[in-house]
Amino acid sequence: MSKHVSEWLNAYHDGELRSNRLHHVETHLAECELCQAELESLESLSGLLQEVPTPKFTPVERFASQVNLRLPHKQTAISRRQILEISWWMIPVGLLAVWIFIGTSFFISDILSAAKYLGLLRGISDWMAFGPSNDIYLSATLSQLGLLSGNSLRWAESTEAFTRMSLPLISLQISIALLYLSWIAIWWTRHMRHQRQQPGQLLEG
Amino acid sequence: MGSLSVAVAAVNETELVTQAQRGDRNAFGELVCIHAQGVRNVIYRMCGNAQVAEDAAQETFIQAWLHLSSYRHETSLRNWLYRIAVNAAIDLLRKEKHILPHDFEDLPTIDSHPGPEALLSQTERTTLVQHTIISLPDASRAVLILREYEELSYHEIADTLEIPVGTVMSRLNYARKILKEKLEGSLLLQVEAEYVKAR
Repeated sequence: MSKHVSEWLNAYHDGELRSNRLHHVETHLAECELCQAELESLESLSGLLQEVPTPKFTPVERFASQVNLRLPHKQTAISRRQILEISWWMIPVGLLAVWIFIGTSFFISDILSAAKYLGLLRGISDWMAFGPSNDIYLSATLSQLGLLSGNSLRWAESTEAFTRMSLPLISLQISIALLYLSWIAIWWTRHMRHQRQQPGQLLEG
Repeated sequence: MGSLSVAVAAVNETELVTQAQRGDRNAFGELVCIHAQGVRNVIYRMCGNAQVAEDAAQETFIQAWLHLSSYRHETSLRNWLYRIAVNAAIDLLRKEKHILPHDFEDLPTIDSHPGPEALLSQTERTTLVQHTIISLPDASRAVLILREYEELSYHEIADTLEIPVGTVMSRLNYARKILKEKLEGSLLLQVEAEYVKAR
């Protein structure tokens, strides 16, 4: 006789076994009185449980009316929540818009500066374009003090001009990236918390 | 034909859920009518008190209404409602321990024409069984009720309670083992004798 199938009897009784396992249990049951008795005991238990009737509840229509009367006005709640939800999703959109705006501004500024350098913007006010030549104060000061001259002065001027032009852009982009990452972190935390707090998820354990 | 009507009902229910998610109270009312009996049964089996089951079922549907936007159609609405109902019953039992069944009037008899002796015996029997069910741990009791009374498959129970199928099996085995141990001395032998006699 094969090994007892006690551990599978519940599943067999509930009609949850398939193919080989089902065949194995059925074969064993045909020759094992002990397992047969255990199965009968399970069937008796189910029969006994079915003896507990349900009481007469309020008629369904009346129950539905009672529920309807107690339903909160969802639309208001939804509207408020929707506004919050839309605002929340607008944050990354806003950050992206700011990033595009800053990038575009710097790009246009570069084009205007180049155009001015090439003499294409003669007669147009300086405020429309700013170039490195106006912003190399540190190099000029060091040059006046005699600390820089020749190639080193030109290298310092180029570096300072590049830094003055690029540093704000890089700083802004890093700030935007940090804000975006913070948003993702908060979103992830909220998402995990929401999953834990969904109704019906408290039973585990 | 049967499967077709089930499919039509499922489509109708999906449509009702969509409408209810848009705030249609009438559509939600129809969903309440469809699932009220099942939800009340589950809660009643969990806590053993009809009035409490009615109240908790109302609360279940209110919670469902409030969280309907988070419901996804991949899960059966019935299973989703049962999940809320089971948790509502467990919360209720934790808060109000005095609601455990003590009232014989809550337990109608099965036989419509029983003799006085049989009526007493049957009432005692059902009361004892119900007390024994309620004495089970919450998690095992929920699995047992969904299987024995609502006839959900193991996968449906797993989906409802969001636990693995293996856990469903172990909790069900445990619940039945405890029930058998507690009822063996008195009722189960009697029922087994009746069962064998009937066969």
